[in-house]
Amino acid sequence: MRGGVSMVRKVLVANRGEIACRILRACNEAGLPSVAIYAENDASSMFIELADEAVLLTGDTIGETYLDQEQILAIAKSTGADAIHPGFGFLSERADFARAVGNAGLQWVGPSPEAIEQMGDKMTARITMRAAGVPVIPGEEIEHEDEADALAAIEAASHRVGYPLLLKASSGGGGKGMRAVHAPEDLIESAKGARREAIAAFGDGRVYLERLLTGSKHVEIQVLADRHGRTIHLGERECSVQRRHQKVFEEAPCATMTSELREAMGQAAVAAAEAVDYEGAGTVEFLLAPTGEFFFLEMNTRIQVEHPVTELVTGVDLVREQLRIAAGEPMSCGPLMMRGHAIEVRLYAEDAANNFLPAIGPLAVFRPPEGPGVRLDTGVREGDEVTPNYDPMLAKLIVWAPSRHEALQRMRRALDEFVVLGTTTNIRFLRELCDEHEVITGATDTTTIDRIWPNGWQPTVPRAVEDMALMAAAVAESAGLHRKQSMASTGGQGPPSPFETIGRRFP
Amino acid sequence: MHHQFRSPEGPIEVTVAKQGDEWSLGGLSTTVMADGRLRIVGSDGGISFGHVAKVGDVWWVHTQGHTFKLERIEPGATDTDDGGGLTAPMPGKVLDVLVAAGEVVSAGTTLMVLEAMKMEHRIVAASDGVVMAVHFAAGDQVEQGVALLTLDES
Repeated sequence: MRGGVSMVRKVLVANRGEIACRILRACNEAGLPSVAIYAENDASSMFIELADEAVLLTGDTIGETYLDQEQILAIAKSTGADAIHPGFGFLSERADFARAVGNAGLQWVGPSPEAIEQMGDKMTARITMRAAGVPVIPGEEIEHEDEADALAAIEAASHRVGYPLLLKASSGGGGKGMRAVHAPEDLIESAKGARREAIAAFGDGRVYLERLLTGSKHVEIQVLADRHGRTIHLGERECSVQRRHQKVFEEAPCATMTSELREAMGQAAVAAAEAVDYEGAGTVEFLLAPTGEFFFLEMNTRIQVEHPVTELVTGVDLVREQLRIAAGEPMSCGPLMMRGHAIEVRLYAEDAANNFLPAIGPLAVFRPPEGPGVRLDTGVREGDEVTPNYDPMLAKLIVWAPSRHEALQRMRRALDEFVVLGTTTNIRFLRELCDEHEVITGATDTTTIDRIWPNGWQPTVPRAVEDMALMAAAVAESAGLHRKQSMASTGGQGPPSPFETIGRRFP
Repeated sequence: MHHQFRSPEGPIEVTVAKQGDEWSLGGLSTTVMADGRLRIVGSDGGISFGHVAKVGDVWWVHTQGHTFKLERIEPGATDTDDGGGLTAPMPGKVLDVLVAAGEVVSAGTTLMVLEAMKMEHRIVAASDGVVMAVHFAAGDQVEQGVALLTLDES
């Protein structure tokens, strides 16, 4: 298929929620008919409404639904879809699925199975990158699968790598199967925990050790590659601000970036992509040390959660380019141009004041901000229920402004306008983050949150605002607003229907 | 009208008075808008808007970029304490139980490890005490809010 022209006439989106909405909208804009697949517990989810067709997956668990390759391929066949877009998470980095899609005569929107394999196994990726001349973080790969052998090898390697160090699952991602170890006495318990989490999440307990580079920024380069011999980078995103190794605040460009460093990192990212004969959109993640040295972390062989910040500063529609490249067309973007500054924050249903514990509940009110420079990518709307079935990310709020300073001002304004009631979210945490000195100056690194709030975050609430809230609750109760709300939600109130009053009948 | 809301420091008493369409409390006055939002005028004359929604007994309030959860204590209800019970913060699975009944633990000790949303959560003793009972074993599924262990705080 590579080098040839493959038409794409109908796209099946093998995902759900926010990213399914993003992809389905791109299909709608491109005039491409689309197919959504959904589990029973997603039957009223928003993404289904954005697709031309939606097919119910049989089965109860994630494994029986969104991860059931055979069922998804059968749906592609029965609906006449000729391409599958995996989004992120779920099957997006499963080489065996990418291969099965190709074998079924369908187009995979993403790189080859071989590229996914080489980058997906983090230990293989480190070895491949070393060979391609891309700098990797000092560390050691541990190939043992047996628990006792692995623990012994980890213990031995820890002396050579030195402390503090990071244990990472070779099949890992999203902070799962990852542990920071600061002292030798914590090594074995951490290694057991990392392996246990890795086995549960990925079915592969292999872990590797990396030196923990403190004070480093997480900077990643977006790449695009087509079948016409073109591999380009689209500049960087900085995603240093993380909690529990999950990103919460992402921006482009990186506040401390220089054009020389961007070029060097961009070239390294292109070399990384070319080393695995990459196709489509991908992200090469680096740690950028205070010395200006940068080290390969991993390559994500899919569209990334934080892709919108790159879209806003480069003017490139990454998902549209993915579809174009998958159809065998050349990418449409010209030379890299970056303009202004974009920031994304991830809204999670979680209790930031209680160690970021995931939260559930109804979205009784969900009122996102509007106005200039504000973009919201979400898969939920008011009235939906946040359940423990899936990832607790509710939405991505992205702002663009001419300068970083103005982008932060815009983000503060947008977060203040964002109203979510019924489910605990991290909105206030994100809002206070925007006021922190390190965030304002751009001196963020991967330990920023832990350093600012070593004992966990607690909101700072002015007494006058708390008094207003108490009064609001007392007035709302006294005025019986809850009775009016529940009547409205059951259709008892609301604007009268003209059809009732004029007594029209259909047909 | 008089209401009580729960807070970590004990019940908060709030009494609002109504005159015409306007509710007042100290220097604050509030009117209910046609769309169900509240228009709050502060003692300095500043105007704020409040979004409210009630879920169960809890009033959710958003104003000035802050969100509050105010649980109303129904008149006549007794204020119950969970009595040192450690509850499941999320539905999930018990991965590991690290203590047994009768064990003396100090504040900060990890008592149990849960898995929810594919992440591990540690159940930690908030104070020194004695484990009176362990209600679940490794592998058990637990619902949100159930008591996992009972700790007799010393």
